[in-house]
Amino acid sequence: MSVIRLGYVHVRVTDLAQARQHYQDTLGMDAVHEEDGKVYLKSWDEDDHHSVVLEEGGVGLVKFGYKVAGEGALDAIENRVRAFGAGSERMSKGDNAGVGDGLRITLPSDHVLELYSEIDYLGTKVGKLNPDPWPRDLRGIGVPRINHALITTEDPALLERFFTDVLAFRPAERLVAGDEESDLVGSWMFCGDQPHDVAFVKGPNGKLHHFAYEIDDWSALLRAGDVMSMDDVPIDLGPARHGITRGGTIYFFDPSGNRNEVFSGGYRTGADFRPITWTMDQAARGINYTHREIDQAFLDVVT
Amino acid sequence: MPHITVLPQGLQVVAQPGESVVDALRRQGWRSRYKCRRGGCGVCKAQLVNGRVRYLQPVAESVLGTTELAAGRCLPCRAVPVTDVVVDLGAEPLRAVLTSNPVSRTTTHE
Repeated sequence: MSVIRLGYVHVRVTDLAQARQHYQDTLGMDAVHEEDGKVYLKSWDEDDHHSVVLEEGGVGLVKFGYKVAGEGALDAIENRVRAFGAGSERMSKGDNAGVGDGLRITLPSDHVLELYSEIDYLGTKVGKLNPDPWPRDLRGIGVPRINHALITTEDPALLERFFTDVLAFRPAERLVAGDEESDLVGSWMFCGDQPHDVAFVKGPNGKLHHFAYEIDDWSALLRAGDVMSMDDVPIDLGPARHGITRGGTIYFFDPSGNRNEVFSGGYRTGADFRPITWTMDQAARGINYTHREIDQAFLDVVT
Repeated sequence: MPHITVLPQGLQVVAQPGESVVDALRRQGWRSRYKCRRGGCGVCKAQLVNGRVRYLQPVAESVLGTTELAAGRCLPCRAVPVTDVVVDLGAEPLRAVLTSNPVSRTTTHE
């Protein structure tokens, strides 16, 4: 398996100063690099150069990056992209601050996905030698790392096939319409042993539903909710448990209306994991197991 | 301070300086249709029937385009009344949540 994890999410924000305040002071990320209308940020437990890029102007997803390991992995993926009939181009060191050469793919869903194996190493805030479990100077929620992204696509079955055939992801959970196993509404896919590293549901191409930060547990989730209330962050849903992934969640919005999530727990998967199926009549439990209610806008609202 | 009249209910509330339509309604115990409250999702989009609003934060062209603006569309979660305004929020009814000022109900046309 050559794709390791979601490495970065690059989003548009209407007001860079307000966005910085949210991602730095409420979430607790650190700015590591700035250039013309862009801020690059990193969470405290991440090793690599950055995990979030904010770009001023508009809302929504510019692109997202997954880190790849292994000699020749990018070449092999490039061949499989071509065989699939999707488009890709080589990207160069410096296209993204701190990131080396890589491959830029346009997904069948029109999203831009970048793959890279080289990225500047900055290290976590606690270091690698006899480290403390967390740094003392955290701000706000103090998110340790990003975890996954959920995007929308007109054709979930096609995108699932792409992630399977080209990137060797596997579905952990699948949401299907009616009794038809083949009529896919959404898929939660992993590349390592998380319940999901990417997910997508049916909707317009090229859009972002949310990207998520991992936090420790239920009490961290509730504390995150406290910080959101202190900073008047609009909450979309939660705290609640997901049926899908079994994780704990709060969905909330950044100052531009991009949806974020704090996500805790979830089970382990792995190469022998057999996918779980959810039917549409139980979709509300799948998304919000605690309340068993979701309004339509939860699925419709994307940026 | 500007008065906000909400159609079709005919409810009237007063906005404080710098306060958006949605925030003025929320402060006075009313919930309208919205989601992100940050101008990014477009769920609250409504018709500005009368009056003028301004936006203190930039709004993405992809959420509220210039043609829509010209046609009188507005984003109540970000639109701050400059004059008295009349906003048509559409069919979805306003919801009372811990309404602290029951007087605001009496202007409802039923």
